Amino acid sequence: MTSTTPIFHSLKSLSYVFIFIIAFGLFYNSPAYADKVFNAQSYTLENGMDIVVIPNHRAPVVTHMVWYRVGAADESQGLSGIAHFLEHLMFKGSPVIGGDDLKPGELSKIVSSLGGRDNAFTGQDYTAYYQSIATKHLETVMRMEAGRMENINPPPEHVLSERDVIREERRQRTDNDPHALFNEELATAIYPNHPYGVPVIGWADEMEVLSWDDTKAFYDMWYAPNNATLIISGDVTGNQVYELAQKIYGQIQKHELPPRNRTSHPPKTKKQFPIKYEHKSIRQPLVKKAYKVPSFHQNKYDALALQIIEEIIGNGSTSRLYKSLVIEQKIASESGLYYNCKRLDKTSLWVYASPLPDIELEVIENALDLELKKLIENGVTAEELSDAKSRMQNKAIYARDSLTAPAMIIGSSLAAGLNLNDIEYWPDDISKVTAAQIQNVAKRYLDPEKNTPVTGYLLPKKPENEKQPEQKVMEEPEQEVME
Amino acid sequence: MKVLIAFTILFLTLNGNAFARNKILDIQEVKSPNGISAWLVEDHSVPVIALKFSFKGAGSSLDPANKQGLARMVSNTMDEGAGNLSSQEFQKELRDLVISLNFGSNRDNFSGNLKTLSKNKTRAFELLELSLTQPRFDKEPVDRMRKANQSRIRSSLSDPNWIAARFLNDIAFAGHPYAQNSGGTLSSLENISPEDLKLFHRSYLGKNNLSVAVAGDITAKDLETVLDKIFGKLAEISIPPTSNLKLQNQGKSFIYKYDIPQTIIEIMQPGIDRKDPDYQIAQVMNFILGSSGFGSRLTETIREKRGLTYGIYTYFYNMEYLDTLALSTSTKNENTAEMLSLIKTEWDKIKSEPVTDKELKNAKAYLIGSLPLSLTSTDKIAGLLLSLQQDDLPIDYLMQRETKIRATTKEEIQELAKSLLNEDQFTTILIGQPEGINNAKLLEIIPNVE
Repeated sequence: MTSTTPIFHSLKSLSYVFIFIIAFGLFYNSPAYADKVFNAQSYTLENGMDIVVIPNHRAPVVTHMVWYRVGAADESQGLSGIAHFLEHLMFKGSPVIGGDDLKPGELSKIVSSLGGRDNAFTGQDYTAYYQSIATKHLETVMRMEAGRMENINPPPEHVLSERDVIREERRQRTDNDPHALFNEELATAIYPNHPYGVPVIGWADEMEVLSWDDTKAFYDMWYAPNNATLIISGDVTGNQVYELAQKIYGQIQKHELPPRNRTSHPPKTKKQFPIKYEHKSIRQPLVKKAYKVPSFHQNKYDALALQIIEEIIGNGSTSRLYKSLVIEQKIASESGLYYNCKRLDKTSLWVYASPLPDIELEVIENALDLELKKLIENGVTAEELSDAKSRMQNKAIYARDSLTAPAMIIGSSLAAGLNLNDIEYWPDDISKVTAAQIQNVAKRYLDPEKNTPVTGYLLPKKPENEKQPEQKVMEEPEQEVME
Repeated sequence: MKVLIAFTILFLTLNGNAFARNKILDIQEVKSPNGISAWLVEDHSVPVIALKFSFKGAGSSLDPANKQGLARMVSNTMDEGAGNLSSQEFQKELRDLVISLNFGSNRDNFSGNLKTLSKNKTRAFELLELSLTQPRFDKEPVDRMRKANQSRIRSSLSDPNWIAARFLNDIAFAGHPYAQNSGGTLSSLENISPEDLKLFHRSYLGKNNLSVAVAGDITAKDLETVLDKIFGKLAEISIPPTSNLKLQNQGKSFIYKYDIPQTIIEIMQPGIDRKDPDYQIAQVMNFILGSSGFGSRLTETIREKRGLTYGIYTYFYNMEYLDTLALSTSTKNENTAEMLSLIKTEWDKIKSEPVTDKELKNAKAYLIGSLPLSLTSTDKIAGLLLSLQQDDLPIDYLMQRETKIRATTKEEIQELAKSLLNEDQFTTILIGQPEGINNAKLLEIIPNVE
């Protein structure tokens, strides 16, 4: 969804890796899951920069990533989109540790001329930059990445043209697409007083006036070695990386960081009516329902139970929702549940379904409610639970079959406030979740009496001339509006 | 695993040391006792096996006009029950054993992907064999997939990029089966019965149009036996030929008025065959022109200097009966005319003067040096092996490719640009409310949807 998927610097991205990670759970495990998952090595430099190394000697290549603990949710009011704008400007000229300054666009060109690929992305809680390249060029990319941690100096004309680029990016991602606009609308309703309700890309009118001064102030405030994690996956050893990082990133001074103050999540106290989002291009309606739930960072044990709920209720063609709505009742073409646990603050759990023609959206909503009600009343069976655990633990082995995915998984988890042990021992933790715990979590978070959800209907908008003839209705007394 | 890729040597060669070297990727050709052959890259570093295969010619270009979406429906339902396993039983077993099995189709071919942990390989191969030889095509999953496809089509109707692709196919491939909607239309899907699916499966998926590619945790010896078990029962088949196609509506522009803030721009012109001796020269040229993102001339001129778009890319789009060069981008409506003019200027520039030494050097370095990044998972390796076989390329293709890229000169690029690039041959599709566009034909109805 727009608010949980990071936004990439350029179109040709590894975003599919991200979709994979979000769709198929957080982590993977090793075959003997009592062991650590990754056997990652971690270090901290004197200036406070964290380092995680995941050795993988399959091919002589590395992925080098720097994750900053700052994202769109850390923006000041009125400056929406500035974290992402800064991410773009990080490519527009900067010094190099022990080398000549980079001109706008030069960093990516150097990476490419060394046979490597690079990109960057921004989420609500983090901003990350990476290169995948032959191991022998690791030092070169590290010197460039460290340089833009120390300072950036984009020429004014590049700042202006890049602001036009992000405006085009918003048009392309969001304004062209009614599904994206619908998601934006729902996010504002779920998080009425919290920055997660503001899109990462920004609101169009605020993006138009973002200034270099504000962007530089944001950069100076948040970009520092003591607010960053270096993650390297590939054909390296921990010591090798530590020494190199010490030599290069170690030259950058730490500085004091502001607290990450986030506004609160006021509870919704009464039943909400569905948000009906009508758009003339829509032919296939959609029902989505979101419950505010804790993230892994906020409540690890509830999050583990919610991850298993996601697996049993909503993941794939043998899940409860798909079986019930699509195969048995034949009222929907698609249905599922997803839960993004990797956030610092309260997050959301979604159920959704696409109705078949002539099925009222209320029918769909009731069917979704009923499946959650069954879960609250009867929990999950022992067989469902053990099958789900085994799948979650096994599925994960595949993620090791990749250079970049392990770095993405660890980076996004740490950025969401988890520690390395939460990741390394996740399979153990998952194996300990009980059916009683799952039912208890369902009762607390998925009962609309206790936790009011936000419901959205995406609907076709009838053209003016096709509107239903006006019907006589009982007129309601006009409401008075106090000025 | 260093044996996987002779990467170090590759870089030495790049730096000028003329090392003799046999292989970039150690591809073995494996032949089963019954004559089924496969390309294999063994790699035991991760306990995963990826097996990919395709049936040449068994694509959606065989779909009858009133049954568009037939090949797609076969691919959607072949993993929905086989032998004595119902749809739910089959899917549950895949899911519980964490086996990924799916089928796909494009205009030219029908394909399949199997990915399994090596500990579950025996059952994974059995399930694949079952789905290939005894698919059930039961009424329930067939109806369900029909509805899912119809729902997907309705949903796509709010996606301007999908609409642009629909028009581009219809207009650039006019008069040829390629112009049809391979995903089916709302009404054509209604005409497809389980009998049609069975007939397609029986007639077009055969031993003699099969290619197989395998990567990961399996030995050549094991694979020999496995190949016969999985594919041995397939019959010999014959596929009716389709006619060659020339890109249609060259030099013409079309607008579909759509209420969005941007104009989606899709351009197509004639391309070059992957087996053409100049294909690698074309790749280097295209890298400099527009395929590489940052550093490419189109991105530099249009995104970096002027901020007119978030992305602009060119790519070769090769099919069995037509080779094309395509460009995709989008910009706000009022900038459309400027954008089109800048694209033509870049087309003209790369024909009228040689590329710079630096551009040439960087393009070669990336095209050769980035190959190992495409070989970092069993999936990617198997995918590459399959694509080489589908295009009838030799087993040492990656070596030949590298040699040719390295030998490419500025003069060759300019010569090729002159003969290949022609802005007067553009078939141009604009979706949005573009401003300042003259002589474009207005489009009314999205073709092959209803």
